[in-house]
Amino acid sequence: MLFFGYNILYIVLKYLVIYVKVMEGKTELDFLEQILPLVKKPARYAGGEWNAVRKDWETVEYRVAFAFPDVYEVGMSHLGLQILYDIVNRRSDTLMERVFAPWTDMEEKMREGGLPLFALESRRPLLDFDMVAFTLQYEMSFSNVLNMLDLAGIPRDSGRRTDGFPLIVAGGPCAYNPEPLADFIDVFVIGEGEEAIGELLDVLIKLKRQNVSRQELLFESARLPGVYVPSLYRVFYHEGGRFSRIVPSLDGVPERITKRVVRNLDSAPFPERPIVPSTEVVHDRIMLEVFRGCTRGCRFCQAGILYRPVRERKPETVLKQAAGLVQSTGYEEISLTSLSTSDYSQVRKVVKSLLDKHACQGLGVSLPSLRADNFSVELAKEVQRVRRSSLTFAPEAGTQRLRDVINKGVKDEDLIEATGAAFREGWKAVKLYFMIGLPTETDEDLDGIVRLARAVLTLGRKAGVPRGRLRVTISASSFVPKAHTAFQWEPQTPLAELQRKQDYLSERLKEKGIVFNYHDAGLSFLEAAFARGDRRLGAVLARAVDLGCRFDGWSEHFQLDRWLEAFRLTGLDPEDYANHRYAYDEPLPWGHIDTGVSRQYLVREHQLAMAGLVTGDCRTESCPGCGVCTTLEVEPVFAGGD
Amino acid sequence: MMYEKVGPARFISHLDLLRTFGRAARRAGLPLAFTQGFNPHPKITFAAPLAVGISGEAEFADLELTEKIPAPFVARALSDALPEGLRVLEVRQLKGAGPALMAMVRSASYRVEAKTCGPVTAGELKDALGSFLSRQEILVERKNNEGKKVLYDLRPGIFVMSGRLDNDIIKIEAELKTGSSGNVRIEEVLEAFLKSSRLPVQGGYALFRNNLYTVAGKEKKMLWQT
Repeated sequence: MLFFGYNILYIVLKYLVIYVKVMEGKTELDFLEQILPLVKKPARYAGGEWNAVRKDWETVEYRVAFAFPDVYEVGMSHLGLQILYDIVNRRSDTLMERVFAPWTDMEEKMREGGLPLFALESRRPLLDFDMVAFTLQYEMSFSNVLNMLDLAGIPRDSGRRTDGFPLIVAGGPCAYNPEPLADFIDVFVIGEGEEAIGELLDVLIKLKRQNVSRQELLFESARLPGVYVPSLYRVFYHEGGRFSRIVPSLDGVPERITKRVVRNLDSAPFPERPIVPSTEVVHDRIMLEVFRGCTRGCRFCQAGILYRPVRERKPETVLKQAAGLVQSTGYEEISLTSLSTSDYSQVRKVVKSLLDKHACQGLGVSLPSLRADNFSVELAKEVQRVRRSSLTFAPEAGTQRLRDVINKGVKDEDLIEATGAAFREGWKAVKLYFMIGLPTETDEDLDGIVRLARAVLTLGRKAGVPRGRLRVTISASSFVPKAHTAFQWEPQTPLAELQRKQDYLSERLKEKGIVFNYHDAGLSFLEAAFARGDRRLGAVLARAVDLGCRFDGWSEHFQLDRWLEAFRLTGLDPEDYANHRYAYDEPLPWGHIDTGVSRQYLVREHQLAMAGLVTGDCRTESCPGCGVCTTLEVEPVFAGGD
Repeated sequence: MMYEKVGPARFISHLDLLRTFGRAARRAGLPLAFTQGFNPHPKITFAAPLAVGISGEAEFADLELTEKIPAPFVARALSDALPEGLRVLEVRQLKGAGPALMAMVRSASYRVEAKTCGPVTAGELKDALGSFLSRQEILVERKNNEGKKVLYDLRPGIFVMSGRLDNDIIKIEAELKTGSSGNVRIEEVLEAFLKSSRLPVQGGYALFRNNLYTVAGKEKKMLWQT
């Protein structure tokens, strides 16, 4: 009997092993494996990267898919993904996997074969997850959000998602004007996610255990600080069609939602083992955040408002984390990231220490963009000790007058001095970023861009840069008024006028050695409509996706006509959004979202702009009184030093 | 170094593979030698590029370190620092600068698994292979350096090719000419074969390269044995 039992066990085990082997063999021939060799860059969908976390599905209580509504190479360059991935996967009761927008070739294959959108780690369909969390980095990725829901087999409209469907969450800068996506998102998280995500997960896990209805779950979520549940609000419009007000439809749901902010960035959770993609991505390097926020107060800049106040991290912390990251990722380059890294109090010290310690390992350091008014050739030389990167400055406007309007404190002399020094030190190419269509702009300001471009080119020639290699790249983007900024009331320059301005510059920047780049003004026009849009734009978005809009940020896919058709079919006019001038006392569709910066401050900044007067930097001058520190009970943090 | 490139790693392109090994070496703390210049890259040379999507079960590369480190240690340290699907199988230390790996490769052996979507008998498969291999020339279209279409004869580059049935899966094994003196790709051979044989196979198939060979004297040898 014993032998018999043993035999049975043996046979069962043997067949189990064979079964497993057969299954393993089959995975190579399953549908996904069959289509991967047929699409471009299959590594986008293969997973298995270094430091990717594949947790046991059954041992956790709550499963989150982080969804990035753009292609893998863009999404994997996003630090926020790495931060949240680390936080959620560190917890023993939760897991987070990743999903990106499949490129159109992959989408076609998936639709053909009926393969639903899946997460990279477990390859499970998104429908299996408890939560799908989108990050909204750019208005023109909204079409991809809807398309990803479609591909996942999840109903777009939040009202049609019954109890079994994943909770659809969204955060990121575009969540600060959530209304265009309000029909499709269950829960918005406003502001920095490091702490908010944990609190939200705690509540959701508790409610999952209690098996509560979706409605109750939404209500409980809405009571958390920084959480906005759009389905629990009613929107009213004036008879003429303009937005009037938004009010909670239930007691206990807050009227205003205040952003979340991390008080101590130095001790905030930080991904020590970020995922290292196996295929080249846009930012294929260590991204080490040296500070959050910006003190400059450029009046067009939304990030400058959203991430206030400035919080620098200690150089010791930065250096310690850098050493860990070099070891855990093996990257050959480290980028010190922030909104304006050359403003970091300890930038010189940190760059020098990093290179002294790691240059021998072949490590290079890069700074994302430099300001012409605190540019130091010494710093730039340090940075290029290992690898020579190109130099980029962003004067934003061509004349001092207009730079004062937008509060960009850079002067012509700064730029001339900085680029001159760079050419003398051996750089052969510089890039200058400008915006066109800024409030009060005239052709004189455009002439200023031309003048600056030529002046910089002349400097390069004088410095002896060979004619064939000297290059001054002028990049002009079209100004988009953004919610929560001092320019939120301003209309965008009409589309035809933007195009005229582009042509105006194009004709005048034809010199050898100057390269002029500009973006499709039609794209900026739609971006403006959505950046200040209200809830009615949800219908436009849905139409546009039905008409085939996706990957709108990619010039090869963007088609203005389709979008205009979607607006027409919905009975709305994009010009009513993009080109509308709001009165100061007019209700704003994003008025219920509170950044902590006061309305009075923004009005004052707008008035100063119109008067051409600048406001000081709160790092070096007196407090301009934006109100963020008092409202959110938080302090700016400086690391001291030079 | 002999390594395996399977699973998700088989989708890593040739250029990305160089970067992946460079980063793995840095994670492993191995002192990799770098090329000079503004964009230094690690000194790694691969025996024969492997097309994206094909599993490599015994791939070969030379890598140069700046210090002498025991081969088994290099193998283990590097293996532990590689992403899923990449694994170092063995490392041997070269005695002096030998001939370039790439110039040594003469042929490669492949395994193909293709799912059938209709009835096929072992006899039919055997006949199809027989008639395929008995052809004087097997012409396929290739693009030359100028992007023009030219005809290329695969037949001389197919050294061995056999097949068998395993339930609903056709398994084919082949040894093909590989290397700088001429290269026949398994996908080309397979497509030509399936086209001429009209066997019922649905689109996708799994491809494996299981070894690389060189010639020493008149003898065929595994790249490893020389």
